[in-house]
Amino acid sequence: MEKKENKRKFTSGKLLNLAPVIGMILMAAVFLAIAYMKDVNIPYSFKNILNQSIITMVVATGAVFIYTLGAFDISLGASMCVSALVGAMAYNRTGSLLIMLGVCVGCAVLVSLISSVLASVFNLPVFVTTIAMLSLLNAFALVLIKANGTGDVVQVPANAVRGINTVWFKLIVLILFLAFCIFAFSFMKLGRQEKFVGGNPICAALSGLNASKLSIIGFMMAGLGVGLGAFLTITYAPTLSRNTAGSVGMDVIISIVFGGMPVSGGARSRIYSAAVGSLSMTLLSQIMLMLNFDSGISQMVKAVIFLLVVYVSMLNSRKTILPR
Amino acid sequence: MEKGKKILSAAALPVIVLAVCLLITSVNGITLFDSQLSWITFTRAAVNVLLVTYALSINLNSGRFDFSIGSTALLSSVISAMIATKYNLSPVLMLMISVVTGGLLGLLSGFVYVTVKLPPIIVSLAMALFYEGMAFTLTGGHGVSFASNAALMEFGTIPNFLIIAAIAAVMMIAVFDHTKFGYEYKALVSGQKVAVNTGIREVPNALICYLIAGLLMGAQGFISATSNGSITMSLNFGSISPMFMAFLPMFVGGFIGRFINDKFGYLLGAVCSALISLVYVRMNAASSTQQIVSALLMVSFLIYLNNEGKLKHLLKRS
Repeated sequence: MEKKENKRKFTSGKLLNLAPVIGMILMAAVFLAIAYMKDVNIPYSFKNILNQSIITMVVATGAVFIYTLGAFDISLGASMCVSALVGAMAYNRTGSLLIMLGVCVGCAVLVSLISSVLASVFNLPVFVTTIAMLSLLNAFALVLIKANGTGDVVQVPANAVRGINTVWFKLIVLILFLAFCIFAFSFMKLGRQEKFVGGNPICAALSGLNASKLSIIGFMMAGLGVGLGAFLTITYAPTLSRNTAGSVGMDVIISIVFGGMPVSGGARSRIYSAAVGSLSMTLLSQIMLMLNFDSGISQMVKAVIFLLVVYVSMLNSRKTILPR
Repeated sequence: MEKGKKILSAAALPVIVLAVCLLITSVNGITLFDSQLSWITFTRAAVNVLLVTYALSINLNSGRFDFSIGSTALLSSVISAMIATKYNLSPVLMLMISVVTGGLLGLLSGFVYVTVKLPPIIVSLAMALFYEGMAFTLTGGHGVSFASNAALMEFGTIPNFLIIAAIAAVMMIAVFDHTKFGYEYKALVSGQKVAVNTGIREVPNALICYLIAGLLMGAQGFISATSNGSITMSLNFGSISPMFMAFLPMFVGGFIGRFINDKFGYLLGAVCSALISLVYVRMNAASSTQQIVSALLMVSFLIYLNNEGKLKHLLKRS
């Protein structure tokens, strides 16, 4: 009897864990149904969805390494903006896409490194450090545009990136980065150690794990994602302004949580959460668009569905006291 | 520590900030407070920052990060402005409607939080999206403008700002330091599990926290709207930025709070922050310079706070 009950609990737990994936499949089904009824060009719409979600997927997948530690980085969008600006300037000087990619990634990793080292060396709360970085990076973006831009923008010639502004190229970048992150997270010590530190930092420290070192590695992985995201942003929209990637920081949080990962990190962290979450959010936006909802109502519906999906996916981790 | 020494220690930081601000402006040949407008700018900034700092600190001290306070201010100011414009109400009535609406929105956020029992950061993200969307829908995305309404535009006077700040400070001190709710709040802040096990009901406590934060943000939304003469719409978390102005005064307030009541600490923190803002205005500093200086100040102050023991030890050794 007890065995049966345990099995039932285990199965329902597994199902709840899969709620975000089931949600994504449901949303894709709803999208297809509406697209079919409204006679929408489905391949073109899917291309749009991929174009919109790949950048968030790449950045959010890297950010999982920070969130698993129970940390939180609000400056990812600003870091991406600065990396893209510096990358675009590098292209305008050298005319090399490879150098642009290297500069984007290098700049983003450097920014992440500064945030994590500042937090580790000076014992600062990571979140507060990233708030300060957000201000600094926003200001830096303004300075860069003023010094190197034409008016309020920095531009890369559209012809230069036309060849790589394809869904296939972006998909290849995403798949390669995802494979790398899955390997690092699920098949190396890094993922397990991060989960341990995120779940119980005191116990992890007593076991000899160096939280500062893991934090620096986690931030560097996130920086890699941000750098690739910056590169893909330039290929998608080669005219960069201070608003470039403005909403990415918050989109990343939403995607990760929507994908079923707890914000507190720890053992329930999953590397695929970010991809599932960002694809679901883009599908949801497209559904709203097809239903001709105005932007305000669309955002309200998104908020309710977001809350609902997260509520269902976290049903089996309820505590008696209010969560903090 | 003696009472007099405590007061002196608490006043030291604002006095130093004032001295540095006066020095910087005078070196550049500018008078910090040269006209009535400078005083209004200073007072408005101080009250704005004070209200956001109080609102943020209530939940943040309890480990609840609330991204929705900016959207609460946005939506409450939109609703109050629409009602005030439609029925030609006085600024005081608009303020009251904004405060009540803010309180109700805060209560709704709290209700959702205690009902779904999800981490507050997730709930606040959803509520921020919801309130922003609602404000956008109510105004058709065009926002609200009342630049032609002289009565509303003239509300921004120093006495009015001071009255709002005084009411907020008195309410915070009365509610958090002199009521059963306040004692229970402090118990929950210092040990949630133990407090709950001793019989403290944390759900009503959390609801009241969200309600008070909402009331304060309603007032902040009103001040911000009447100062600008219009309310601009934000989507996709565009409303969270006002929250960031509260971090520096919150840390400064926390530091000053070692010597005196922490609510006074936040007040002095807001004054310091407003003084710095006034220097930016008077020196016509570029937006990028303001952001860089503010971020560096915050990081430097935090580095000091988090390494105070080490620094003192180093100073002793040398």
